[in-house]
Amino acid sequence: MKRTRGLAAVIAAGALLVAACSDDKTTDSTTAPSTADTAVETTVATGETTVETVADTTPVTEPVAAGWVVDTDICVDADAANAPIEGTVKIGSVMPLSGGAAAAAFAPVKDGYEAYIKYANDQGLLGDVKLEVTIEDDQYNAELTPGAVAKQIDAGVNIFSGIIGSPNNLAVRDTLNDNCIPQLAALTGSPAWGDVADYPWTTGQLVPYSVESAVYAAQIAELYPDGAKVALFHVNNEFGQYYVDSFKDLADEYGIEIVGEETVEATDSNPPTAQITNIAALKPDVIMAVPLGAQCISFLNEVANAKAANPDWTPATFLTNTCASSLILGASGQAANGLYTSSNLIDVVDPANAALPSVAEYLAYMDSVGKASVAATATAGWTTAEITVAVLIQAQASPEGLTRASIINAARNFTFTPSLGLPGVEFKMNGEDDPFLAESLVVRQYAVAADGSGTFTDIGKLITDFES
Amino acid sequence: MKSLVSIREGGLANWALRLGAAAFVIGLVFWVPTSAGAGLISTAIEALTLMSAAMALNLILGYTGQISIGHSAFLGIGAYTTGIMVSRWGLSPWITFPAAFVIAFVVGVIVSFPASRIKGVYLALVTLALGLVFPQLLTWKKLSWLTGGGAGLPNDDSQLQTTGFNIGRKSGQMQHFEIFGWDPFGDLRRPDNKAAFWYWIAAVVAVIVYLVCRGVVKSRVGRSMVAIRDNETAAAVMGVNLVKTKAMVFGLSAGLCALPGCVIAIKIGSVSPEGIASLTVKGAITFLIVMVIGGAGSLWGPVIGAALYVFVTEKTGEWANDDAIPALIRPLFAWAKVPPGDGIFAILLILLMFVAPRGIVGVWNQYSSRIVRVLPRPAGAVGPAPMAVAVMSTVTDSEREPE
Repeated sequence: MKRTRGLAAVIAAGALLVAACSDDKTTDSTTAPSTADTAVETTVATGETTVETVADTTPVTEPVAAGWVVDTDICVDADAANAPIEGTVKIGSVMPLSGGAAAAAFAPVKDGYEAYIKYANDQGLLGDVKLEVTIEDDQYNAELTPGAVAKQIDAGVNIFSGIIGSPNNLAVRDTLNDNCIPQLAALTGSPAWGDVADYPWTTGQLVPYSVESAVYAAQIAELYPDGAKVALFHVNNEFGQYYVDSFKDLADEYGIEIVGEETVEATDSNPPTAQITNIAALKPDVIMAVPLGAQCISFLNEVANAKAANPDWTPATFLTNTCASSLILGASGQAANGLYTSSNLIDVVDPANAALPSVAEYLAYMDSVGKASVAATATAGWTTAEITVAVLIQAQASPEGLTRASIINAARNFTFTPSLGLPGVEFKMNGEDDPFLAESLVVRQYAVAADGSGTFTDIGKLITDFES
Repeated sequence: MKSLVSIREGGLANWALRLGAAAFVIGLVFWVPTSAGAGLISTAIEALTLMSAAMALNLILGYTGQISIGHSAFLGIGAYTTGIMVSRWGLSPWITFPAAFVIAFVVGVIVSFPASRIKGVYLALVTLALGLVFPQLLTWKKLSWLTGGGAGLPNDDSQLQTTGFNIGRKSGQMQHFEIFGWDPFGDLRRPDNKAAFWYWIAAVVAVIVYLVCRGVVKSRVGRSMVAIRDNETAAAVMGVNLVKTKAMVFGLSAGLCALPGCVIAIKIGSVSPEGIASLTVKGAITFLIVMVIGGAGSLWGPVIGAALYVFVTEKTGEWANDDAIPALIRPLFAWAKVPPGDGIFAILLILLMFVAPRGIVGVWNQYSSRIVRVLPRPAGAVGPAPMAVAVMSTVTDSEREPE
């Protein structure tokens, strides 16, 4: 009996091992339809116009006169950087697809990204050129990012795009810049992505944390013209620290007094009861909060509890836009009512936006690829892929055609209106003069109805003051 | 139980087997950086750093029987020693290795004193607390002047924008690594050359850790360790100084565990608790799992366990996509929307513990002896090893050496 049982266990373990070791690799790649040429011409030709409303939803790429040009002489292999890319553009990325809470939060980004690449191939946005994307998993662990990137370089990836996480992007920035491989649309708001002189091949996508905190500081000053007492609550990592440091730097300028600061560890999933109790004891006018992922929900619930326990205390709550998804705020229920946040993208699950052609097309496409369930949180990935493809289209239309150098030149001389962007939002970069892609935001307030549904209301106009 | 072949320990056939195994390992170690691409080399680096940490843990847990679930802290000490010394003070990464060893050794010895008063699950809890507190300490605001706080290093205050070698394309940056005029790696800015450079650093560290572990285990101290593991009271009666031995082994294990931390900091060029999973308690549990699966209390156990762990997690990395899962087992894992590598390893762990509590090395020792049995030298034998005797086995179960 013991022998049989042991044998069965060994066979099962062996089967798992064999299965784990068998090679059955696939990548997302589709062949461009025959209408490809027409689609490219149309897209490039629309470059002269600017989209003023979201009703006109065609993403617009505006070719910019090539002012800034990357120096390929210092590349390890300058010939490779200037070699034409023909047939297929291989796009690589690294995202946290496993490893806990981060995977759950970021998995939809992958879905959105792959969906848009498929869409671009279906629409033939690059003509005869096919797009192929491979997204590796680094479990949000920067130890694994260099290996994932190296593996993709071995596989002949031409560009990288949408790598998630500051330490993760930093871990491969030197290698990609030394080898002149574009590292586009890093999905973090670290100021590090604005170093064009030292790292010309690396561009960021998100609004820099410093800009977002400045937008909130300005809004707080408007709400409290006589000065505001603000308590800070933030996650104790690179994201939170950059954020509050930027906010503190601006405090005096906007008449803000920082009365308290509480932190939560990035890995802490417990409700921040003690931290919010400490903040409530200070009775600040405003809580400026920078939590992470599911911490957004527990933070809002704890603030609601503290307010209930202190009826005379009604602080305004400002929450970073990383929390401003319908998924997170919806899960917070009434606790999210009245909070301030910001965005530069359309809320695709707001019924008021359902009729917008861009939203309708996006939702329909996500449904067609079986990703309707994650459509609300996949917009980030969709937009990242859309930006990447727009850069490629612009590079393709350049005199050099598609090369790694022309791609980064296009990215650094770039003006683009994303299909899911709010009216007036333009993503643009201009060499060293404007190293950040997105610097416009609108402050929004979230209102929760009695039935639990929530809607955003824009507070004022799109803030473009920080655009370079 | 009968064996097909029996050979004498120290005999010609025994040496031939040893040399063959050594040649295979050395050949593999050289084949990876010279023939593989940067991707595979990077995977090998992960395996080497993991096996170094697991070997260090094996010293205290596998051989001395002292449970530690906090070795991630010692690896973190190594990573942050390198990070601070390189990015804050501009020192060479090379000198951070001995510095990290000494610092971790001292911390390990300090931790061992309270640990020497307790054992079993209580010791596990103490070390678990160490593993849990260490990342919090790194992000503690009052230490941010040193550690960079939550953002880690390098930061704006850093002298260098890296915690590793300042490899880059600009003048003044490192582009070649020459040894007395010899440039073994070529242009270090190339991904494969850079990966090979890191690989050899990781490989040398792994070899050093292995040799130190081997030297200790085969020495009188090693016998004391095993005696403590098997029966503390008996060891004390036999004259083993429990406190001193535990302190020294804990310190040595901690110091060795810091070395792969230095490698990680050099390789990724930045350090933060969020960016390096190995310095959180998840890392400590991973060290523990690979050591147990490979075979606790054996020199090669952590090596095999780490290689297997990295191999399995690497191969299953694409399984978030259902189509990437082999058809045969797709129904088992298609429901999981994340790569199930850790889950598969957990199942392997359960199964192996069920059938082979001594790990893969234990299984190997058990079944390989049915083919080739190495007969030990006669007790008290001195002088040169006897001539190898390879005979068709007539060894019976009664002659089987105790495991």
